[in-house]
Amino acid sequence: MKLEIRNVLPTYFEETRKADSGIWGKDLVFSNGDLINIVAPSGTGKTSLVHFLYNLRTDYTGEIRYDGTPLKNMNREALAALRKDHVSIVLQDMRLFGEQTLRENLEIKRQLHPYYPAERIQEMARILGVDHRLNALARHCSYGEQQRAVIIRALLQPFEVLLMDEPFSHLDQANSQKAIDLILEEAANRKALVLFAELEKAAGFHATHLYHL
Amino acid sequence: MALSFKPVKPLLYTGTNASSRWFSYIGLGIGVLLLLCSVQMFINIQQLLKEGSIRKDGFDFVSITKNITNETMGQPEKNLFHADEIDAVKKQPFIAGVSPLLANDFRVQLSAGNVLPFSTDMFLEALDNDFIDTLPPNFTWKEGDQNIPIILSSDFFEIYNIFAPGQGLPQLSKETAMGIPVQIACYGRDNTITFSGRIVAFSDRVNSVLVPKNFLQWANKNFGNKDRQDASRLFLKLKDVNDPKLIRYLDAQHYVINRDKTLLGRNKIVLQGIFSGLGIFGLLVVILALMLFSFYLQLVIARSRQNLELLLTLGYSPAWLGKHVSGQFVPVYILIVLTALICTQVMQWAFHQFIMFNRPELSSLVNWIVILLAAALVLMAIVTNARLVKKLLYRLG
Repeated sequence: MKLEIRNVLPTYFEETRKADSGIWGKDLVFSNGDLINIVAPSGTGKTSLVHFLYNLRTDYTGEIRYDGTPLKNMNREALAALRKDHVSIVLQDMRLFGEQTLRENLEIKRQLHPYYPAERIQEMARILGVDHRLNALARHCSYGEQQRAVIIRALLQPFEVLLMDEPFSHLDQANSQKAIDLILEEAANRKALVLFAELEKAAGFHATHLYHL
Repeated sequence: MALSFKPVKPLLYTGTNASSRWFSYIGLGIGVLLLLCSVQMFINIQQLLKEGSIRKDGFDFVSITKNITNETMGQPEKNLFHADEIDAVKKQPFIAGVSPLLANDFRVQLSAGNVLPFSTDMFLEALDNDFIDTLPPNFTWKEGDQNIPIILSSDFFEIYNIFAPGQGLPQLSKETAMGIPVQIACYGRDNTITFSGRIVAFSDRVNSVLVPKNFLQWANKNFGNKDRQDASRLFLKLKDVNDPKLIRYLDAQHYVINRDKTLLGRNKIVLQGIFSGLGIFGLLVVILALMLFSFYLQLVIARSRQNLELLLTLGYSPAWLGKHVSGQFVPVYILIVLTALICTQVMQWAFHQFIMFNRPELSSLVNWIVILLAAALVLMAIVTNARLVKKLLYRLG
């Protein structure tokens, strides 16, 4: 899948931001297999960018295209299909159903497109060290546990693009590394493009493209 | 594996604000019941009042006259139907045919000759044959014939039998009366001819003494004083004597119709008005209940907003979600309308059984129109809610 970012700038940013940024106001084209690392301090628009790419927000100028189709032109159903089969996401604010267990949260995603059997949930949870918490309500889990569940949720579906916004902010070094390894393995299996936005350059993520916002 | 709504269902806060949900359920039930009952009663009235008049080949026959008032009495030109007025009556869509009643324009005296000491001044009338209910084949006359066939009103015959004993006359059966020859004396300007008449039939429909039309036309020409064209009575052939449109038309024209024949029609106007009003009220209650229900749905979606947004973020299709969220209430709608339909059926059965005592015009079962209406109401509720939920979900993003 080809991802194009054409002269994008949040409407609430000044034009001058374009000058210093590697992303804002630039024309960029990415395709399968690219590992993009976007490094930026707080307040420079990392979350905004990831939200724009997933169409959670549309308050930007410029254009984002998937395989040539402008994201803003997609109707609700096309967008749902894109999210279900082609573009996956790990959001910084996690977004789990608090009243459901981690396993229920993961099953709700898996049933959309049963790319993996149910056993794979257990397996990935074991790799990331949250298998013992699968039956706990999401709201009773720590941020670290929730964050790992969200990573597993993103990896349960088929995808050609994986978007991640500070996915390890609540994980220690060792758990972050386990998560990076699992994500890279899953992305490689799918020959997917990974866009990883972080405060600092991640040690274990060998990016093919590095940008500063 | 088909996408299941089961794990999604608990994410909807449908249990919240149960009172508003129950109010809308009850409101919907009452509204639908009122509407269905009104329509059923409306149909009952139609069926009941279609009967109750003398019909021939599916038509009603009545005669009308002009309303003779103190102002118009003594002025025949105002009390007779002129040709243009007859044409206007003919043009009305609810009137299938019009025949003016031709009256004698000369003096007629009826006597029973030597058989009975009975003699009276009488009138004769003639009508197109297809307006007569009891038309025997011998009801014909040709010039030169001495015998005139007569069709007598059953009412008149009954009146004779009432006053006969007081006058020292024998009471007669219809068969005997038909055997008695009567003498009809026609007094002209300068001549008098006596014909021999015989009752050939009795009519329940025409309150008159009918003779063949060609005889009366001939007699009016030979004995009459002037060439009168206008009729004092019109005989109408009607699809439905109780048609409110007919009654309104006749009232507007100040024409008088035999009251008891239209009494049912007048009741029908009132009853239909009452049930139309009830039906409209029922429809309003249905609309109100659906509105209340849509508010409840909006509340459910507002309360579940975060969860629904997350489902959409995960890639759930808004159309699929909308279909299933609104689909939750489909069994409820069906149950409510079905309950109302059953109540209507029970009411109809009781009405037929205990109030109408199994009258054959009515059925103990509800009319198919009512069933169709119930199905249409379910469909309307489902479609309006599905559209509303879809709209609300699309707004969520």
